[in-house]
Amino acid sequence: MPNRLETYFDRLERTRVWKSIFRSGTGSSTLHNALAIQQNLFLHLFPTKVRKRMVSLSATWYLGTLTLGTFFILVGTGVVLMLYYHPSVPQAYSDVKDLRFVVSSGLFLRNLHRWSAHAMVFLAFAHMFRVFYRGAYRAPREFNWVVGVILLLVTLLLSYTGYLLPWDQLAFWAITVGTNISSAVPLVGDKIRFLLLGGHQVNANALLRFYVLHTVILPLSAVLFLAVHFWRIRKDGGLYVRQSEPGNVENSAQPASEEKKQS
Amino acid sequence: MKTNKTGFLASCLAFLRDPFRMFGVVSFVLLLLLTIAPAKDYFSQWHGYQRQYLRFISHRTDALTLQRHFHGGIQQIWIPQMNVVDRCQTCHVGLTEASLSDVQQQPFRAHPRIPHKLTEFGCVICHRGQGAATTVGQAHHSEMAGEEPILPARYMESSCGQCHQGPLEGTPKLNQGRVILARYGCVNCHSIILPDGTKLQASDNPPPLTHIADKTTREWIYAWLKDPTSYSASATMPNFKLSDADASDISAFLIANSTTNPGDTMPMPATAVHSSAPDPTAGASLYGESFCASCHATQNAAGNLVGGNLGPELTNIGTKVRPEWLMAWMRNPQHYDPSTLMPQYRWTDAQLKLITAFVQSKTNPDLLANVHLSPATPAQIAHGKKLVIEYGCASCHQIRGIDKPDNFGPNLSRIGSKPVVQLVFLPGMERTLPAYLTQKISHPRSFGPSLHMPKYNFTSAQVEAVVTALLPLTDRSFELPLNLQRPAVQETHYEPTDKAGQLMTQLNCLSCHRINGRGGDMAPDLSWEGSSVQRPWLDAFLKNPNTLRPALIRRMPRFNLTDSERAVLTDYILAVYQTPAFQRDELPLSGYSPDQVEKGRQLFYSKYACQSCHIVNPNQDKGYIGPTLTQVGSRLTAAWIYHYLKNPQALRPGTMEPNQHISDDDARSLTAFLMAQKSGASQAARK
Amino acid sequence: MTPPRDFTAEVSSDMRVSQRRVLFVTRRTSSQVRAYEEERVQTFPEVLIRALLAVECLFLGLVLMSLFFNAPLEGIANPTNTPNPAKAPWYFLGLQEMLHYFPPVVAGVLIPGLLVISLIVIPYFDINIEAQGLFLKNRAQRLRLSMILCLALIVFLAVFDVYVALVPTAIVAFFLLLAAYSSPQSSSRFRSYLAQRPVSWWIMTWFLFQLIVLTAVGTFFRGPGWSWVLPWRS
Repeated sequence: MPNRLETYFDRLERTRVWKSIFRSGTGSSTLHNALAIQQNLFLHLFPTKVRKRMVSLSATWYLGTLTLGTFFILVGTGVVLMLYYHPSVPQAYSDVKDLRFVVSSGLFLRNLHRWSAHAMVFLAFAHMFRVFYRGAYRAPREFNWVVGVILLLVTLLLSYTGYLLPWDQLAFWAITVGTNISSAVPLVGDKIRFLLLGGHQVNANALLRFYVLHTVILPLSAVLFLAVHFWRIRKDGGLYVRQSEPGNVENSAQPASEEKKQS
Repeated sequence: MKTNKTGFLASCLAFLRDPFRMFGVVSFVLLLLLTIAPAKDYFSQWHGYQRQYLRFISHRTDALTLQRHFHGGIQQIWIPQMNVVDRCQTCHVGLTEASLSDVQQQPFRAHPRIPHKLTEFGCVICHRGQGAATTVGQAHHSEMAGEEPILPARYMESSCGQCHQGPLEGTPKLNQGRVILARYGCVNCHSIILPDGTKLQASDNPPPLTHIADKTTREWIYAWLKDPTSYSASATMPNFKLSDADASDISAFLIANSTTNPGDTMPMPATAVHSSAPDPTAGASLYGESFCASCHATQNAAGNLVGGNLGPELTNIGTKVRPEWLMAWMRNPQHYDPSTLMPQYRWTDAQLKLITAFVQSKTNPDLLANVHLSPATPAQIAHGKKLVIEYGCASCHQIRGIDKPDNFGPNLSRIGSKPVVQLVFLPGMERTLPAYLTQKISHPRSFGPSLHMPKYNFTSAQVEAVVTALLPLTDRSFELPLNLQRPAVQETHYEPTDKAGQLMTQLNCLSCHRINGRGGDMAPDLSWEGSSVQRPWLDAFLKNPNTLRPALIRRMPRFNLTDSERAVLTDYILAVYQTPAFQRDELPLSGYSPDQVEKGRQLFYSKYACQSCHIVNPNQDKGYIGPTLTQVGSRLTAAWIYHYLKNPQALRPGTMEPNQHISDDDARSLTAFLMAQKSGASQAARK
Repeated sequence: MTPPRDFTAEVSSDMRVSQRRVLFVTRRTSSQVRAYEEERVQTFPEVLIRALLAVECLFLGLVLMSLFFNAPLEGIANPTNTPNPAKAPWYFLGLQEMLHYFPPVVAGVLIPGLLVISLIVIPYFDINIEAQGLFLKNRAQRLRLSMILCLALIVFLAVFDVYVALVPTAIVAFFLLLAAYSSPQSSSRFRSYLAQRPVSWWIMTWFLFQLIVLTAVGTFFRGPGWSWVLPWRS
């Protein structure tokens, strides 16, 4: 059964159409695997090879990967949610109610979006502290750390702007409390607040502004900085390894060839 | 066995060591989990109810009809102009099926018949609750801001009051509650702005306390403040739960603050009261003849209140007022209180003594037996003033030197939409707005001893009525589209003018009669009285009012008017109070042909069967519902009778007289018959 | 105390390949380069499949959570009805807690501004590239300085009644003290670990500790009027 499946795959990979899409060609040689990364627009940001010991869970806890994962979930659910949502008062609130009561799986989608957002904020923080405690922020990765800090801020802003969209009491007062802080900035505080809210209080203008920030501006900037972030991992010499950690060829538990044989 | 198990686990783990296999397994589990969310939708509550409904109707004889009417899926009533999305019919499937009206199993019972179409107003406008929700809990019991739990059925009438600001026939509880709100002076402290922008006006008449010392004693004030019901069971004054010292201080302040107004009291001829007491039976008959009981109640031996409630209860009045004040009051009540509803009776001095002595004899010596107050000190008076300000006494009563406070209590204009989360409940209380209001009205101090809201002497039915009147004061009632607003008819500021106007003010005609949109509802509306009655009858009636409706206890009292005063009044009424609908003398008062009279008689007795409500021949007719018509030909104008027969409601809105769509000819014949019922003729017939 | 080192280390930052070239200049021999050649795996498919697997597991958890726990939704926004307390999202509750003690300019602008700036400049401070323990050099002087700093911070927090931030500070100060009196050769593994922590570790740990405590307090222990409540008694 598995063999037949594999032959089907092999046949598929040999078709002209497949080859026109995936330039890496067939086979599982190192070259092909490397090309699979290099020839792909999305994957070429990553290095073609990674230190074997960095693949283990204990090295990174996959925190960065998981943060990216939540981002994908958020984009997916967010786009579907946008189909049901009008950024206007009081329609926004009724839309969220309708999601809950009428839209098929609407409640599930909203739950998933909400919990993933919390997870993303948490994971971003965890990722940052993990990177710090491993010392992975040091040269030559200084700039990538800065990009990471920017991404953390973008994540916070994404979550914060999304907080207003249901237009419920929780949203309204959280945003009121938050934006009141910005007016404490000396000299330009009130101007900043006005710019954020599109007015002097949290109302329909603020909702529209937060909606545009949440669905267009911030996700785009997140994607931009994510690209830089991944690109720089590769350019700064891959995932960081501590000198003190066992990493020599002699120390690695199993040669790669043996592992291949097992699978 | 155990080794088998561990062996199996180990081989599983070994199998999953390979990330590719692990990936396959996890993907499979994930896909499975992702199908749960849509499955949850399918097993939702409302789906269950709809399946249950289909099973339920399949056993009925009218199953086919019901099945044809049934539509699956979410059902909703959408009314954009009122921001209503009601999905109640998703579960309450049989709401509009008349044949399901006796079904016990909810949510399938049909809605009872109401004056409105269900689809026109939806559900939440009347029942509250969250219309958009499709789960039982969320739809019925949500307490979040902007959402309300379902309104208990006993307050249902309140929902009518959101649009209908005036009284309605089908809402006795709401009407009663609104009367209480106005009558017990609630709106003197709590302002209530109605959606049409008008302020709810108090209809009670709290006496001014400027000259209170002329009227009563400090001891009585003390006893009254301590517990108004100890003096009068029907007291509208609430109990402020004052301590002995506080009540004593307030009474000291009120007496000290009172000024003497010459004319408030009359010197009593000492002999008249003490030595030769007037005949009590004569006093009692004057009390009866003057129909004092139409407005004032007294407690009879059985402890029941008998009489009207327009004026204060008189059971123990002798314990309250000074005789010299009472006599002056009986002569001219407006001198002491210009806003009083009491008419000036124009009694002779002898009658005044008689009635004063009779009224003064109604006492309760026990009331003040134990009240012994030491003379007031300046400190007490100052403290009394402080308390009077603190308790907002001036909100209702006029007190010298203290301004009426604005908005002494919280504004209640939107109390019906107060979110439950903003209310502070006592432990163990039901967490709903009606329950909160009920507790607040019936036991105001239970929320804290320092609160100033007094305790009213309400029965639980009255409290329920007040709550029913407060609940319609919602945000929604303010946001209604114009075509749905039904504002109450507002009291006008009509004042009769001229010499007759002064006379009518003295007699306080408007306390009982309504004229041009102002006045009481105890007696008939007089706005078009000039078109309706004949001059000789009116003059005679004012001289000696006898009743038109023998079944009523409340009658027009005799005011002892002089001939010239009567002439002024009669002239004014006949000239001014005319309907624009017709000329009062467009039909002759007499001279109808006997044929026409006879035709009218037949119409009266056979075709229209008027005798079932009215009496023309006292010997045979048994109608007591409408006024007796034995002398109607001497009383009413022919034009009024004719037009009244054509359309009773046009001339007397709300009258019970049915509009029988009588033809012009029939109406003319009936008029001829009725105009033949002259006073002389009927007396002749009786003989 | 410090183990004797016979070399100085320098890390160059113009890396084009992943190997780390470290130049060791010993006192005894001429310079030599030792490069680690370690085993590496292909990103495709070895790493990607594991990443995908990790993300799937997370997705699985989130789906489960979404099936069983509904996202909060309060009543419709009502500007006239302020809930008590009005709370910001959880990740800002630490700031809101600070706002309770300090004027808005300090808690709302100065503190977060400084935080972001210090986070950004962290990697440019490579004064201690070898990540040496804080007290391994100039112990007495450093101990004095750090204790003065800790005390000043504690006094400052006490003046503003910020006991929520004071307690974590005091705890960190205690461990700092413990670290000062421990050596890397200590028999206790914990003390040995503490002794080798550099100054940046101490600052970050203090910050993380504060963040956790303040956020937890703001989330669970604050009730009406930002008063102290116990979460299990509401």
